[in-house]
Amino acid sequence: MLAEIGLGALLLALAAAFHALLAALGAGLRNRDDWLRSARNAALLTFPLLLCSASALLLALLNGHYQISYVWSVTDPTTPFFYRFTALWGSQQGSLLFWSLLLSLYCFSAILLSWREHRRLMPGVIAVTMATLAFFLGLSLLLENPFERFWLAADGAVLRDAFIPAGARAPDMERLAATANGLNPLLRHFGMIIHPPMLYLGFTGFVIPFAFALAALASGDLSAAWIRATRRWTLLAWMFLGLGLLLGGRWAYDVLGWGGYWGWDPVENAALLPWLTGTAFLHSVLIQEKRGMLRLWNMLLVIFAFSAVLFGTFATRSGLIESVHSFARSEIGFPLFAFWSVMTLVALGLTLWRQRQGLLRDERAFAGLLGRESLFVLNNIVFAALFIAIFWGSFGAPLASEVLLDAPITLGVDYYQQVTPPLFAILFLLMGLAPLAAWGNSSLRSMGAGLRAPLLLTLPLLAMLALAGMRTAEALLAYGLVTLAGMVALVEIIRGARARVHAWGEAWPQALRALFIRNRGRYGGYVVHLGVTVIGIGVIGSTLFQAETQRTLARGESLTLQHYELRYDGFSEALAGDGRLLRVAAVTLSRDGREIARLRPRIDVFPQQPMTIAGIHSSAENDVYVLLTGHDETGARATFRLTINPLINFVWWGGLLLLTGTLIAAWPQQAGVATRRQDSALQEAQT
Amino acid sequence: MTRHTASATGLRMTEATWEKTAISAQRFRGRRRAARRLHFLLAGLLILVASVWLIISGTASGARYFITVDELVNNPDWSGKTVRVSGAVLGSSIAWDPDSLTIAFTMAAIPAQFDDLALALHDAVSDPSVTRLDVVVPGQPKPDLLQHEAQAILTGRLGADGVFTASELLLKCPSRFEEAVPDPAIAGHADL
Repeated sequence: MLAEIGLGALLLALAAAFHALLAALGAGLRNRDDWLRSARNAALLTFPLLLCSASALLLALLNGHYQISYVWSVTDPTTPFFYRFTALWGSQQGSLLFWSLLLSLYCFSAILLSWREHRRLMPGVIAVTMATLAFFLGLSLLLENPFERFWLAADGAVLRDAFIPAGARAPDMERLAATANGLNPLLRHFGMIIHPPMLYLGFTGFVIPFAFALAALASGDLSAAWIRATRRWTLLAWMFLGLGLLLGGRWAYDVLGWGGYWGWDPVENAALLPWLTGTAFLHSVLIQEKRGMLRLWNMLLVIFAFSAVLFGTFATRSGLIESVHSFARSEIGFPLFAFWSVMTLVALGLTLWRQRQGLLRDERAFAGLLGRESLFVLNNIVFAALFIAIFWGSFGAPLASEVLLDAPITLGVDYYQQVTPPLFAILFLLMGLAPLAAWGNSSLRSMGAGLRAPLLLTLPLLAMLALAGMRTAEALLAYGLVTLAGMVALVEIIRGARARVHAWGEAWPQALRALFIRNRGRYGGYVVHLGVTVIGIGVIGSTLFQAETQRTLARGESLTLQHYELRYDGFSEALAGDGRLLRVAAVTLSRDGREIARLRPRIDVFPQQPMTIAGIHSSAENDVYVLLTGHDETGARATFRLTINPLINFVWWGGLLLLTGTLIAAWPQQAGVATRRQDSALQEAQT
Repeated sequence: MTRHTASATGLRMTEATWEKTAISAQRFRGRRRAARRLHFLLAGLLILVASVWLIISGTASGARYFITVDELVNNPDWSGKTVRVSGAVLGSSIAWDPDSLTIAFTMAAIPAQFDDLALALHDAVSDPSVTRLDVVVPGQPKPDLLQHEAQAILTGRLGADGVFTASELLLKCPSRFEEAVPDPAIAGHADL
C-alpha cells in the first residue's frame, strides 16, 4: 500500500510540475495572468505531493517493507531506528527522491515569498524551477524508481517492478527480511545524518538564484531586482553547502581512517566548485547593488554555480569518476549530462542575447586599483582561477587525456597541494585588504593606516605560534596572511562599535548589538571572515605540521612520536547487537611520561567490509589520532598508526563561526517582515 | 510590432546617454584613468598568468598515467615514471611483514577494457600466460580486501629490478559492488 501511495504522489507531482512548466511558459509568452496563477498553484502543489511520496518511503523504511527493493537494499531487521531514518538518503533512488523534495521545498518558499514583489519574473522562475524538478522526477520514475518491488514470476524468477507483473506473486516476506542487505556500514555515523541533507540543501538551493537570473534575462528586466530577490537564498544555499562540506570532512576524519578530512577526491571537489562560485558571487553581487557594475559577470557566476551543481550531480551519480563517494554505475549518467548541457547552453545563450542588446552593460567604470570594487574583482579572478584549477584536476585532465593521449592521466593530491595554496594565499590577502578599501579608489596611505591595528594584533599570535614550534617561513607567511585577514574583520567590528559608543554614548554591548542589527550583511560578513580565518589556521596547522608514525607492537611495548608515547595494553573481541564483530585494542597515551588518556581504537567487521574507527584524544592544541591498522590472530601483536594533527579542531570551530556569521547576514532586516509577507502571499494563494 | 520599435528606441537613447557621460568623464581624467585601468589589467593578468603556470606545472608533476601492466612491462619509457596500473591479485603470492610493514604480492594483467570485472579478474589469475608483475607496497598495514582475485589499483614506479614499488594501493572486490538482487533462495523457499 505504501508503495502505491508513494508512486501515485510521485506521478501526480510530475504531472503538476509539467503543468506548471507549460502554463508558466504560456503566461510569459502571452502575458496571461490567469495562466500564471494556475502555474503557481501547480508549482506549489508539488511540495506537498513529494512530501507525501517521501513520507511513504520513510514509513516503508521504518516499518521494514522489504518487498520494496530500495528498503531491502538499505536496511535489514537489525538496523536501528535511527539509521532506518537516514536510509532515506542512503542510496541512489532514495536520495534522488529526497533531492527532488528539497528542490520543491525551495521552489515552494521562493514562489510564496516573491510572488507579490517580483510578479514580472515569476513566469521565468516557475518555468526554470519546474523544468528542473520535472527532470529529476522523470529520472526517479523512469530509471531509479524508489518504489520498485520484488515479485516472483510463475517460473520462479525474481522480478523487480513497480507494478505487479502478469502472473507474478509477492515473495515470502520473512525470507525477504532474512536476506535484506542493510545500510552500507560506512554510512552508519552521526555525520551521515546531517552531511547529505546539508549538502543537498546547498546544491538544490542554487536553483533559486539561477531561476531568477534566467527569468530576468527572459523578461528583459535586468535591474538589480533579481539580485535583491535571491541574495538571501544564495546565502542560505551557500551556508548549507559549506556546512555539508565541513560535516563531510568530519565524517571522513572519523570513519574513513586515514587521519585527514579532505582528500581532493573528485566528488568532494564537485561539491567545492559550486561553493567557490557562490562565494565569488556573494562578493561581486555587492558591486552590482552598490555601483551597478559587473552585471554580465554576476550573470555568468550564477549560471556557473548552478551548472556546477548539475555537473557535480552528474559526475557523482553517473559513476563517471571513481571515488569513495560514487554511487554504483547507473543509467542516469546520460540524461543528467544532457540536462546539464541543455540548461547551461540555454542560460549562456540568453545571456549572450541580452548582452548583445546592451542590457548587461555596467553603469560605471573602475576608478582605481585600490578601490573596493577592484579588489573584489581581483578576488573574483582568483576564485575563477581556483575553480578552473580544481575542475581541471578533477575532470578536465582525466577526460581530455582520455581523448588526446595514449594513456589517460589522473592528477594526485600533490597537484592540488602545489596549485591551490598560492591561490588561497592571494584570496586571504585580498580578504584582509578589501574591507579597508573605499568604494571607488583609496590611497596606499589610508590603507596602510587601516592595517596598523590588525598588524599589531597579528604579530603576538605569530610569535606564539613560532614559540610553539611552527617556525618554517612558509608556515609563518601562511599564518600571517590568514590571521591578518581575520584581524582586519575583528578591528572593523570594534571600530564600528566604538564609533557608536563615542557618537551616541551607548554602552559597548549595546553598541555591538545595534551595529549588527543595523548592518547585518556587512558585519555578518565580517564574522564569516573570522570563521574562514579560524578554519584557515586549522587547515594550515593540520596540513603543514601533521606528524605520523606506524609500527607493529607486542603487548606492553610502546612507540613514541614527538612528546607522545603510545603503549599497547590489550586486545579483545566483542559482538555488537547489529551483527558486527568489534576488534578492540586498549592503548595508553602518555605525554612526557604522564598518562593522559586511555583509548580504544578498533576495527568493526561488518559482514560486507571492515571499518577502522580511530581512538582520538582531542584538545585545542591538537588531536592525537590512533588507528588500529592490523593484528594477528590472538592480538599478541598489533599494528598502530599514530597521527598528530595540530590545531585541527580550529576547522570545526571556524565552521560554527561561519554558520553564525551567515545567519546574521541572512536574517531578515526587520523582524517580522518576512512572515508578514508570507502571510499575505498565503492569503493570496488561497483566494 | 509598434511596442517592439518603441522599446528599441528607448534602448538606443539610454545607450546614448551612457556613452555621453563616459566620454565627458574621460575628457577630464582621461590619462589618469587609462593608467589606472592599465594597473588593474596588469594585476588581473598577473594573477591569470601565474594561475596558468601553476596549473601547467602542477599537471606536469602531479600526472599519473593510467596504463596497463603489459604496457608498463613492455615499454621501457614508462619505467621510473609515476603511473597507475591495475591487475588481479594472486592470492598465494601475498606476503606481509608486520615488522617492516611491507606487503609484497604478484598481480596478473587485466585488459584495459572489459565488460565484467569479476570475469576479467578470474580469467587473469587462471591463465598462466598472462603478464605478471611483482609488487611491493611499503608502509602499509595489511588491508582486509587484499585477497585472491581482488582488483588492485596501484600508483607507483617500476624499478630497474622489474619490481613495482607502489605508494598507493586501492583494492576492489567485485562481490562488494554487485547489483543488489535478493538471494535466489527467496524463490526456492516460496515454492515449497
